[in-house]
Amino acid sequence: MVSRFDCLKLLAGWLDEHAITVTARGPNAREWAYLRPGGANFHSLNLGMCLSFALGLSLAYPRRQVIALDSDGSLLLDTSTLVTVAAVRPANLLALVMDNQSYADMGPTATASHADLESMARGAGIQRTGTVRSEDDFTRLVQPALREKELGFFVVKAEPGKARVEVDSRRLHGRAMKEAFVEALLRHPDHPKSQTRRDV
Amino acid sequence: MDQETVGIIIETLKEQNIDLVVTLPEEPTYPLTEQIRRDPFFTAITVAGENHGISLCAGASLGGRNCVFVTGIAGLLVGSWSLAQMGVLYGIPVFILASYRGDVSDRSGISGDQLNMFNQVGEPMLSALKIPYRIVEEKPKLKRKLVDAYGACRGFGSPLVLLLTGDVLW
Repeated sequence: MVSRFDCLKLLAGWLDEHAITVTARGPNAREWAYLRPGGANFHSLNLGMCLSFALGLSLAYPRRQVIALDSDGSLLLDTSTLVTVAAVRPANLLALVMDNQSYADMGPTATASHADLESMARGAGIQRTGTVRSEDDFTRLVQPALREKELGFFVVKAEPGKARVEVDSRRLHGRAMKEAFVEALLRHPDHPKSQTRRDV
Repeated sequence: MDQETVGIIIETLKEQNIDLVVTLPEEPTYPLTEQIRRDPFFTAITVAGENHGISLCAGASLGGRNCVFVTGIAGLLVGSWSLAQMGVLYGIPVFILASYRGDVSDRSGISGDQLNMFNQVGEPMLSALKIPYRIVEEKPKLKRKLVDAYGACRGFGSPLVLLLTGDVLW
C-alpha cells in the first residue's frame, strides 16, 4: 500500500498547466484540490461518473492530457465504463484509480477481497494497465504513461485514511466549482472558438 | 424510423455542427445511428451503458464539443442517476434524442406491460428530474424542433430531451 497524498503530490509535479483533471468525490478531490489549486479541475463527481466524464473531456480536448482521479467505490458502480473507454481508446486519457479497498469508513469494497480492477480493465480491452503498490511503482508506471500519450489505466493501492488539508468547499462542489472549471477552460488558447460552442 | 426522418436529423445535426454522437443501440433509432456510424462527419461512440453515456456527453459538452445522446425511454431510466447529477446539480447541457417507447403509437412489438411501464414512468421521471422535454410526432416540424431544442438546451444549461414518436418514429 502507498500513500495517496504522496502519489498525488508526485503527479502534481509532473503535470503542466494544460492538463485537465477530474476527481471522484471523497479524499481524492480534497487532496487534489489542495495540491493543484490552479488549472482546469472538475471535482467531486459522484459514484460512477468520474471516468466517463473525463472520457468526454478527452474527446473535447484531444491535444490536452486528461486525468481521471477515480476511486474503487466509484468505478465499481459502473464498470461498463471500462468497455467504452477501451473502445474509444483516447491517447490523451489517463485513469488513476485510488483503491483504498473501502467505502470511506463504512466497510470494505469488493477490491478488498475478490475484485481486481486492473484485471477488469485489461479484460475490457485497455492495454496499458498496472497496479501501484509503492511510490517507486507510481513513478515507474505513471510518469512514462503521461509522457508517451497512450490510454493508460492504473490502480493505486492506497492506504486507508486521508490527509489533513484545508480546502474551501466552494472549490470542491456544485455549480461554483463547475463555473471555475469552465473559466479555466475558457482561459486556455485551444478552447474551441466556434460561437455555437461558447455558451455553456 | 424511416429514411426521410434519418435524413432530416442528420442534415440538422450537421448544420448545428453536432459531430459527436453517443448511443447504446436500440431498435427504433438504429437506422439513424447506423447511418451516422458510416458518415465520416461524425464521431460515433457506442457505449456499454446509458448512465456513463450521459456522463460522457456532459464532459464533452462542458468542454465545448457539440454532441447528442441518442437513446430511448429505457435508456433515460437507466441514465437517471447521471441526469440528476448533470442536470439538477451542475446544470450542464446534454442534448438527447429519445425514442418514445410506450407511446400509444409504439409499434415495436414488445410486450404491452413493458410499454405501459415506459408510458407510466417516462415523462413523470423527466419532470421529477426537472429535465425539460418536448414530444415530436410530426415530421414537418422535426427540423425546427431539433434546432430550437438544441438552442434551448445550451441556453437553459440543462439536459433537454426530444421524445420522438408518431410519424417521426414509426
